Amino acid sequence: MVQNLVNSICPFCGVGCGIGLVATDNNIISVHPLNKHPISQGKLCAKGWNTAFGISRHGRLTHPLMKIDGKFREVSWQQALSHIAKSLKKFISESGPQSVGVISSARATNEDNYAAQKFARAVLKTNNIDHCARICHSPSVAGLKKTLGSGAMTNSIDDVGKADVIFVIGADPTENHAIIGGQIMQAKLSGATLIVVDPRQTRLAKVADLHLQLNIGTNIALLNGLLNIIFNHNWQNEDFINQRCEGFSELKAHVAEYTLDKVAKITGVKGEDLVKAAKLYSQANASFLAYGMGITQFVSGTNNVIAVSNLALICGQIGREGTGINPLRGQNNVQGACDMGCLPNVYPDYQSAMDQKVREKFTQAWGTEVANFPGLTSLGMSHQAKDGHFKGLLIFGEDPVVTDPDRNKVAESFKVMDLLVVIELSMTETAKMADIVLPAASFAEKQGTFTNCERRVQLINKAVNPPGEAKIDWQILKELAKEMGVPELMDWKDSEEVFHEMTQLTHSFSGISYAGLQQNNGLQWPCNEEHPNGSRCLHAKTFPIGKGKLIPVDHAPTDEVPDSEYPFWFTTQRLHFHYGCGSMTRKSPLLERETPDGLLFMHPQDALDLGLKNHQGVAVSSRRGCVETRVEISDQVSPGLLSMPYHFKEAPSNLLTNNAMDPGTEMPELKVCAVKLVPLPENQPPRSSELSDVGIGEQYA
Amino acid sequence: MLNHSYLLKDLDILKQHLAKFYSMVQIEKDANGEERWTDQSDPDTVGLFGHKHLPSTSPKGFLFAEKEALYKFDGETFESITPQVVPKVLFGVQACDLTAIAYQDKFFKQDPYYQKRRENILLVGIDCESPCTNGFCAEVKAGPHVNDNTADLVVSRLTVNGSNQLAEWLVIAETEKGQNSIKGLPLDKAHKAHFILRNRLLDKMRSEFADYSYINNAIEYLNDNAVPQHLWEEMSVRCLSCSGCTNLCPTCSCYSTYEIAEKQPDNVISETKAVKTETLRVWDSCLFEGFQREASGHNPAQQAAQRVERFWFHKFSDEYLTEFQRYGCVGCGRCEQTCPGTIGVHSVMKRINQECCS
Amino acid sequence: MLQLTPQTIRIVNIYDDGTNAKHFTFEPKGFVHDKPIGIGQFFMLTLPGAGLAPFTYTSLPDENGRFNALIRKVGRLTENLFSLKEGDVLGYNGPLGNGWPVEQFEDKKVLIVAGGCGLAPVATTIDYLINNNRGESVTLLYGARDLGSQVLTKERARWQTKITLCETLEEGADNAHSGLPTQHLLQTIKEYGGLPSIVLTCGPEVMMKAVAKTCIDSGLQSSDVWMSVERRMRCGVGLCGHCYVANSYACKQGPAYRYDDYLSLNNKMVSTQQHQGAFQYC
Repeated sequence: MVQNLVNSICPFCGVGCGIGLVATDNNIISVHPLNKHPISQGKLCAKGWNTAFGISRHGRLTHPLMKIDGKFREVSWQQALSHIAKSLKKFISESGPQSVGVISSARATNEDNYAAQKFARAVLKTNNIDHCARICHSPSVAGLKKTLGSGAMTNSIDDVGKADVIFVIGADPTENHAIIGGQIMQAKLSGATLIVVDPRQTRLAKVADLHLQLNIGTNIALLNGLLNIIFNHNWQNEDFINQRCEGFSELKAHVAEYTLDKVAKITGVKGEDLVKAAKLYSQANASFLAYGMGITQFVSGTNNVIAVSNLALICGQIGREGTGINPLRGQNNVQGACDMGCLPNVYPDYQSAMDQKVREKFTQAWGTEVANFPGLTSLGMSHQAKDGHFKGLLIFGEDPVVTDPDRNKVAESFKVMDLLVVIELSMTETAKMADIVLPAASFAEKQGTFTNCERRVQLINKAVNPPGEAKIDWQILKELAKEMGVPELMDWKDSEEVFHEMTQLTHSFSGISYAGLQQNNGLQWPCNEEHPNGSRCLHAKTFPIGKGKLIPVDHAPTDEVPDSEYPFWFTTQRLHFHYGCGSMTRKSPLLERETPDGLLFMHPQDALDLGLKNHQGVAVSSRRGCVETRVEISDQVSPGLLSMPYHFKEAPSNLLTNNAMDPGTEMPELKVCAVKLVPLPENQPPRSSELSDVGIGEQYA
Repeated sequence: MLNHSYLLKDLDILKQHLAKFYSMVQIEKDANGEERWTDQSDPDTVGLFGHKHLPSTSPKGFLFAEKEALYKFDGETFESITPQVVPKVLFGVQACDLTAIAYQDKFFKQDPYYQKRRENILLVGIDCESPCTNGFCAEVKAGPHVNDNTADLVVSRLTVNGSNQLAEWLVIAETEKGQNSIKGLPLDKAHKAHFILRNRLLDKMRSEFADYSYINNAIEYLNDNAVPQHLWEEMSVRCLSCSGCTNLCPTCSCYSTYEIAEKQPDNVISETKAVKTETLRVWDSCLFEGFQREASGHNPAQQAAQRVERFWFHKFSDEYLTEFQRYGCVGCGRCEQTCPGTIGVHSVMKRINQECCS
Repeated sequence: MLQLTPQTIRIVNIYDDGTNAKHFTFEPKGFVHDKPIGIGQFFMLTLPGAGLAPFTYTSLPDENGRFNALIRKVGRLTENLFSLKEGDVLGYNGPLGNGWPVEQFEDKKVLIVAGGCGLAPVATTIDYLINNNRGESVTLLYGARDLGSQVLTKERARWQTKITLCETLEEGADNAHSGLPTQHLLQTIKEYGGLPSIVLTCGPEVMMKAVAKTCIDSGLQSSDVWMSVERRMRCGVGLCGHCYVANSYACKQGPAYRYDDYLSLNNKMVSTQQHQGAFQYC
């Protein structure tokens, strides 16, 4: 058997490490690290090393499936597509294009995502197009758009090594963005000062110079407190503020009420530590600020992002190497899915869907009328479905039944839709609920591009053929467009053609071609006439909106706080070994072995008070649902706070989480709610919440 | 040895000769500049040799496959799945990796899958001419010249007066397999002088290594049980259990098994319903928390510090000398490059040295 | 060359034997053991589609080659095993490892301390000694969590009259038999004829270490104490690497270790010395 080696990009998180796929007999057997890759430099995390299991042919969907009498039956592509096309046309003619929509995938390529939003806007004539950035970084996009004019990571990953101070807030990079986490640990070894702000004692917190273990949901109080300290000591960067910012005096006046005592009381962090952090961050030559879901997944998510932005702006820690505001993106291509316009309000490159000129531009370019009314978010589509106004949905490579808040509600809305089509690698919890399941090609089975969190567009290459009859997402959409009677709209011959079409319609990508990507190990957008070699660092001279906006924001309590009925704080987290709904990582026997099917982190003192032994079963309930799982006693969490990873369908944390939303972005407050807990008898294993093979509908019926 | 030593002007002659009998595996550089062992390489492609070109992944996988089926079950009986092999020549293996293969030859002496592959492989070793970036083979007696009896053929460049223009290659057939492989190739015999020259080059090269004395100091501390617990704790916080070190280590041999059942999900009606299972093995890592965890949840190596310490114990303990006559570490330095937590061999040994010296 | 591919065995009998524990009788299918099975050796079971794991013989093969194993349901593999019925076939590799040094027991007073399912690996030893008319020289101290957790009910009934048997329970016993076996160890030694010449122990590692310590404190040599160490295994023949005890493999040097060897192995590693696992019967 011959081993073939094909270079690609890791399909998990947004770091975008290089991986060499080792293929034997049309099967990926393993992964090699790439020493020459600019980001990973020969390193990978446990997920990356185990990529081969996630896409192995075993357990993959190989044929289109149609649910008939509660069971899936194999059907031909022709049957499946014509059924879908017929249904979609019927919904549109009866209820208008508002009644159908597409959820695209942050795991799919830019080409797939471009095709998905084009299919929605040009074929279905709807702006109902969204993807899971809704529940990770939509507040970053919204917040930073307001303050800077652009929602992406301002700097490059290797700027970590150029920083004097690294300030990590609400992110757990050694587990979720392990290669960046490693670079932070290495920078610390080489002399950088590391400040971690997190309610949990993460691995980075353990090695940090300063860990501000704040009470959950008190980010704004803490950040405003830091601002106030900085102003009181005159540590702000006056020159930068004068030249590059507006709104300074309002902000200064606003944060004056965030006195040291008050902030210490709200956040639970010692005043002296706050002062230390404020001094270190503001006085360093270069401070690199990174944040994650611990900032965005709150009802105050957008305001949290603005507070972060305020801190960086008043200290002038942006626009130079080693600094910046750096949201760590969750999925390998969540940056790309946003860039490609898989959001209801923007076309590719963030061109506003509300702008008549933009619509005209695309109408002309695509040669067809485009959607001309506002679109719905994924949660919006769910809500409309329950009211009977939304009929048909295509979901590409996402598993909202596991990953979205308040699972029961999500599942109910899928149940009432007239047509749910899921395009997937394997039979996920969401796929089980579908009317039609279509087999998709994995990243190793196609060519295309992913955009990582530092805006680097990178090529992936085909290493093996898709299993059975599986097809690439954009090919499926092309076929479906044909079936809908508009073959000319999406008649591409390969992924490069899709990419080329996109670059012709955008400014940030206009200088990128496959050949250029191949030569340069990827290119960071904007890459165009002004920046022919791409852009390592944004906002060096000016912001896209001119001056940076300093916007006063206020601390507000989370939607739920513990009370006598639900006495514990509850938060969610991720584990180094698993990714998202676990549909890929849990196929690795090595990763699957690392953790039980579900677990709940609890402080030793709480366990003692409740008389719980390690790994004992417990029933956790919130106002929305109940999950049985096992206790993992750990000093990672403080007393009164429980934390649960969301990877496990047997113990889905999203039966508990709160769907109260950040008003601007509809980001649900996944990071915090209130729960109560009942121990199970000592030898009683937790009951699994995994759906039966026919999905939740039948189970609950 | 002199009996089976020859001189060669052009290495390509040897390669083309071997390519007649063996499928060629050599180090190639891809479009991204990545160097790696390439299966079924075109013998006309110029391979990369020596110290400058140690691929990030060792040739371990050609012998101990990263993933392979062991046996299958048809519902009644179990049947072995023998690896499908063709004769291969690994052309230009560096001394460190050859030492590692010799180490694994001992470890897997009784493993039928390993041995089936091993029998069909001809190893052509190459003497390195200068130290590589992270390599410290000289410090652990694994190189820089190919150790005796670790390759079938050894090729060594006899650089004269520091100029590569007049280079001639010394070819040493160390095994019978090696001797047979060059039968029919018209080669001049080498002389004692050539061996003297080879040794002189070796001495010169040894002096070019950086000061890696901290490695051997640290080995001593390790074996004296002198590394304090807190240092293992500190270093283990940095271990993400990524498995990079064990995957890339050319002597790591741990594996796990898993099962694949050919069966459609219950909710899909399909023609193919027959249940067949296969048991496979896959490289495992002792740095995983689950590596030793038992079904009951009890874990003899629960603490990361235990696992990190045990890994280095396995590489540097005198305890293994009786069985293998050498340490498990061959000084390739790959773990230093791949470790996201900066606890590869150089980092760890430096820290042990610092800690124990002060 | 080692044979990793299992031979086939058939389940011929299953009965409940304690909470979540079953007693299995297996029969070789299409093969006979070509070498005798040592007392205290183990075998690997392969459950097609589920995995493989080591188990211990609770009886040596009879004239039909049939042998028994006591198996407790603790994880996915055993859960699968418990769903099987008589007549089902499994994969088998055995016998493996080094058992107890029964040849050294001659004329010696033997104390056996077992905890929970740790009784299974010493069962063949007890039968061996009884069959060699040495029952009166054997004292068995058996600890379990509660009455329901006790295993090998039939065997204990058979042994009752032949050896000295002392049972302790963590819960639900009278004062004289309540608590952990280690709490009763000195008393047992005193009551049943003084210091033994050899001690075998099997159970949680922490329990075995405590047993060894008490015996040594009472005057035994560490070389008089033997323990059977349990580890996760993926091959049983020294290849997969899972069952390491410092630089040894439990599947090759063990599972029976002489306590002084065990100590000197573990003393090589600082972190292992420091770490004490929780005491929990399996």
